[in-house]
Amino acid sequence: MTTPSPSPSPSGAAEVGGGAAQAGASGAAAGDSGAAPQEVTITLDGREVAARPGELLIAAAERAGVYIPRFCYHPRMRQVGMCRMCLVEVKGPRGFSLQPACFQPVANGMEVRTESPAVKKAQDGVLEFLLVNHPLDCPVCDKGGECPLQDQTLTFGPGETRFVEEKRHWSKPIPVSSLVELDRERCIQCDRCTRFAKEVAGDPFITFQGRGDHTEVNTFPDRPFASYFSGNTVQICPVGALTASAYRFKARPWDLEQVESTCTTCALGCRMVVQSSSGEVVRHLGVDDEAVNHSWLCDKGRFAFEASTAPSRRTHPLLRSDARLRPVSWQVALSEVAGRLRAVLATDGPGAVGVLGGARLTNEDAYAWAKLAKAVIGTDSVDAQLDDGLPAELVAGLPPATIADACAAKVLLFLGPDPREELPVLFLRLRGAVRDHGLDLVELSPVDTSLTDLARASLRYRPGQLVDLVRQLLGSLPPANPAVAAARDRLVAGGGEGVVVALGRSSIAESEEQTVAAAGLLRRMLPGATFLPLLRRGNVRGALDAGLAPGLLPGRQRLADGGAFATAWGGLPGAPGRGARALLEAAATGQVRALFLLGADPLSDFPDRSLARRALEAVELVVSVEAHPNASSEHVDVVLPAAAPSERAGTTTNCEGRLSPVGQKVVAPGLAWPDWAIAVELAAALGADLGFASPADIVAERARLAPLFAGVTSAVLAGTVGRMGALLPLRGRGPDGELGEWPAGATGGLERLDPMAVPGIASVESQGAPSEAGVVRAAGPVVAAPVGGRMAAGDDGPAALLSWEPPEALPATPPVDAYSLRLVAARRCYDGGTAVQASPSLAALAASPALRAHPSELERLGVASGTKVAVRAAPGRLELVLEADAGVPKGVAVLGAVPPAADAPGASALVRAGDPVTEIRLETLEAG
Amino acid sequence: MGALDALKGFKVTFKQIFEPRVTSSYPDEKRPKPPRFHGRHVLNRYEDGMEKCIGCELCAGVCPADCIYVRGADNPPDHPVSPGERYGFVYEINYLRCIHCDLCVEACPTQAITESKLFEFSFTDRNDAIYTKAELVVRDDGKPQQLPWEDWREGDDLLTSGWMRATSPAGVADQEGRRHWSGELGYGSRAPERGQSGLDPAEASPSLELRKEEAAKIPVRFGGRAR
Repeated sequence: MTTPSPSPSPSGAAEVGGGAAQAGASGAAAGDSGAAPQEVTITLDGREVAARPGELLIAAAERAGVYIPRFCYHPRMRQVGMCRMCLVEVKGPRGFSLQPACFQPVANGMEVRTESPAVKKAQDGVLEFLLVNHPLDCPVCDKGGECPLQDQTLTFGPGETRFVEEKRHWSKPIPVSSLVELDRERCIQCDRCTRFAKEVAGDPFITFQGRGDHTEVNTFPDRPFASYFSGNTVQICPVGALTASAYRFKARPWDLEQVESTCTTCALGCRMVVQSSSGEVVRHLGVDDEAVNHSWLCDKGRFAFEASTAPSRRTHPLLRSDARLRPVSWQVALSEVAGRLRAVLATDGPGAVGVLGGARLTNEDAYAWAKLAKAVIGTDSVDAQLDDGLPAELVAGLPPATIADACAAKVLLFLGPDPREELPVLFLRLRGAVRDHGLDLVELSPVDTSLTDLARASLRYRPGQLVDLVRQLLGSLPPANPAVAAARDRLVAGGGEGVVVALGRSSIAESEEQTVAAAGLLRRMLPGATFLPLLRRGNVRGALDAGLAPGLLPGRQRLADGGAFATAWGGLPGAPGRGARALLEAAATGQVRALFLLGADPLSDFPDRSLARRALEAVELVVSVEAHPNASSEHVDVVLPAAAPSERAGTTTNCEGRLSPVGQKVVAPGLAWPDWAIAVELAAALGADLGFASPADIVAERARLAPLFAGVTSAVLAGTVGRMGALLPLRGRGPDGELGEWPAGATGGLERLDPMAVPGIASVESQGAPSEAGVVRAAGPVVAAPVGGRMAAGDDGPAALLSWEPPEALPATPPVDAYSLRLVAARRCYDGGTAVQASPSLAALAASPALRAHPSELERLGVASGTKVAVRAAPGRLELVLEADAGVPKGVAVLGAVPPAADAPGASALVRAGDPVTEIRLETLEAG
Repeated sequence: MGALDALKGFKVTFKQIFEPRVTSSYPDEKRPKPPRFHGRHVLNRYEDGMEKCIGCELCAGVCPADCIYVRGADNPPDHPVSPGERYGFVYEINYLRCIHCDLCVEACPTQAITESKLFEFSFTDRNDAIYTKAELVVRDDGKPQQLPWEDWREGDDLLTSGWMRATSPAGVADQEGRRHWSGELGYGSRAPERGQSGLDPAEASPSLELRKEEAAKIPVRFGGRAR
């Protein structure tokens, strides 16, 4: 699709002049510059239309309402001119000649004919040739009904073919990975999938092979298409050559319904449509959002919807009796919870109640739970993070940067987990920024990550020594090597203006103090720098903004400043409560007697498994509001079944603070309720009235009380902001009078989609195979979100930031123990997480846990890669397979944080909560 | 006004008395039905017993009454139900909704669904009105199954799969000399019909000949044959 910012074409080659060089991700910069882009005029079919300099003819024509058929052209990839379908006549010195419109930048005064007899003849010929070997098995093909080849053949092609010979044959679908099937007979060699794999994802595992009519797309022998992004090739395939095994024969386009939504699998918040058939979600497709995901999704976000229909899904309230969870009615479950909670409150007061989790909830759900916890129960011991994120005040208190800012930064200091594992589409955005305009990426990481090859400087630090490295980068310590010195010079120039820091926890085997101290140093020494928090889990930013954090109230308000809430809610907790770690420590010693788990699984996700286990065993009443059973379920006393994504509507907030809608497409199975309704009913069982009869009531109260959400009313959410998402707080009014942040020159925000960019969305929008397919009829569901600039200091309107005081004292650097390795524990994309494990397509992809260390460590130990060794750490001992990995520095070992099987050894069994670093020692096992 | 005027008024009446009688005593006696009569559907099978339905849902998509529900599934590799990758896993027609327009038959790419000439079937249970694949698939001899509440008469089950489309894939109505269905079980074959369009082939729509003529007009430099 096209976007309000300058040409979305990532090509640098086609750009003319300096003004257009800011294309693509740097839309925010273009908005700030204020200079209106120069326009050129072209004559299109005898009509004068305006175009942007450097824009490709095919995109300019589309904005002018002339659709030029195409297969290989995709607005988010470099053009290759493979398919020749977009041939148009362009006037040159020797008259009109046929030119591919996807390869022709517009020039002033250009004359173009798209409907002349010569063009028609060319289109006929191209389509006839494309169909020479195409099997025309449309009735069997999953693409039938939404197929660009089918649609464009009907619209532009010849009625019949002259070709009567036998077609080329290949064996019918072959799996190129466990998620994607390839039918080479249908392939028209448009180079979309191979280009995506090579250019966008950087996983060139599929490629063209053979010559002439034996050209085929295929994987390399014995090398599957093992990419986290393989589903995108299915999404952009213009024929049915690549199909998703999860969608195979599930539905036809004309019996699909769709709703726009936002993926909450990770905190990036990719925009997507959810498509369902017969009341069952069958497919997710990426929506092109300029600000966030550029139409891509990762395979986890694309296929994890399978979890919502998994047989293990919670559908009824469960109550533990005789050591087993048995189904009961809602009334029995709620009155049991209320009765036991009243007993706890009567004897030990609200401080003995804790609430953990909430990242699975929508913003409205989180608000209702925050009100239940803080106003009705009266506890402030509420934490949406499980000690694996960043302090809520830091997230809300650092000057924010958007993803677009990070991609357009002068220097991007990346200090966090491997984005390909934790925020996969952010990796695509960063990779695109490096590829297209040479983003200066400086990575600080304990081990090699997916960014190492992309970064201009990838600087290693031993766990526990991050602050030392940051001080070297800021010039307070002498640089350890020339690479640090070079990065330092680029970083500190101009007081950090234009520097974006992507900040997250690269390992949960370290406590957060090093990361917090590093953020404080960067904040103080680089006053111009902005920060993009890299948080774990879906809507964790939204949960923090809704007050699911100790000491905070909805809308980034401190508990102490919450006068409006105290009045409206009828009381607030007197003292700040405990965070996740303190809460579990208190629970383990019996000070916390009732614990609510809002989709949280402390046993898997909390860094210290033994503390989590002791806490869950000690707590008298554990209530889990969950959609799926998890490792902690064996300690749960009451299960309240909650609605999963696509089963309830609301909003979500991604890691950059962008509010966007989540849509409801199906109804929750069994007796599962949305989380806000559970909070309301539980409050009623406790004798209180939250005052919410619907999410609209929550939205209204939130807009009234929480300054951050000022203007976020139901009407605004139903309008463009609700459709496209917007950064909070809303500022200014858009062209249609709505609140929101708008880039300069945006005209209404909504733009039509390129129907061939994600064929599955346009076809469902128009319902069925239209005779004029490819022509967008109405403003489709796909819109470009406004590119948010950063919030200006001193702006009018509600305060965007909490005041956050960086800690003055630097943490001590833990001394290095030469006999130990320092553990790095980070999540993998496919691991033991609930969504992955409950999705049949993904569960098998989760790798078994292995400890990875530098080959020299294995030499020192005298074992071969793949040998089982004993791993000893403070909390206990594990036996793990040890693998050699040259990407892991000496003195460091890497282990996945959440292993695939619940009882398999994971890093959390080796970590002691609060320790600055985790030292492990390896020992060989006795033979036999 | 003459004496014969009264008789004049009966002219038509008297004439009809000697014409053959057209009224039949339905339901004891039934008139033969035309060959393209739209009755109850059948799901056809090939000679080897495989089902023709591939579960493509085109019938369900085109149905104006929304009475067809189809779901496809992967053919089990060891016991394929139909040739190819996909078969009709669920096939249901709700006869309380069906208007027998035959658009499903037009849409079917494999001639899997056709219609018999049975129209006399009434139910005492709404569930009986929903025919599933178990009832719609033809028997091993290629004839439709006969359910207890259906009133089958001689000839109703003949030529059920010998239905010919009103349209052809290329949009050429003239089907002269063409047989569009393949070999199959039972009573399928019927002699090809005479042309239906009555139009001159050149006027009908682009055909192979027409494209050859067109190519002759296109200059050689554009790939045609004109010099």
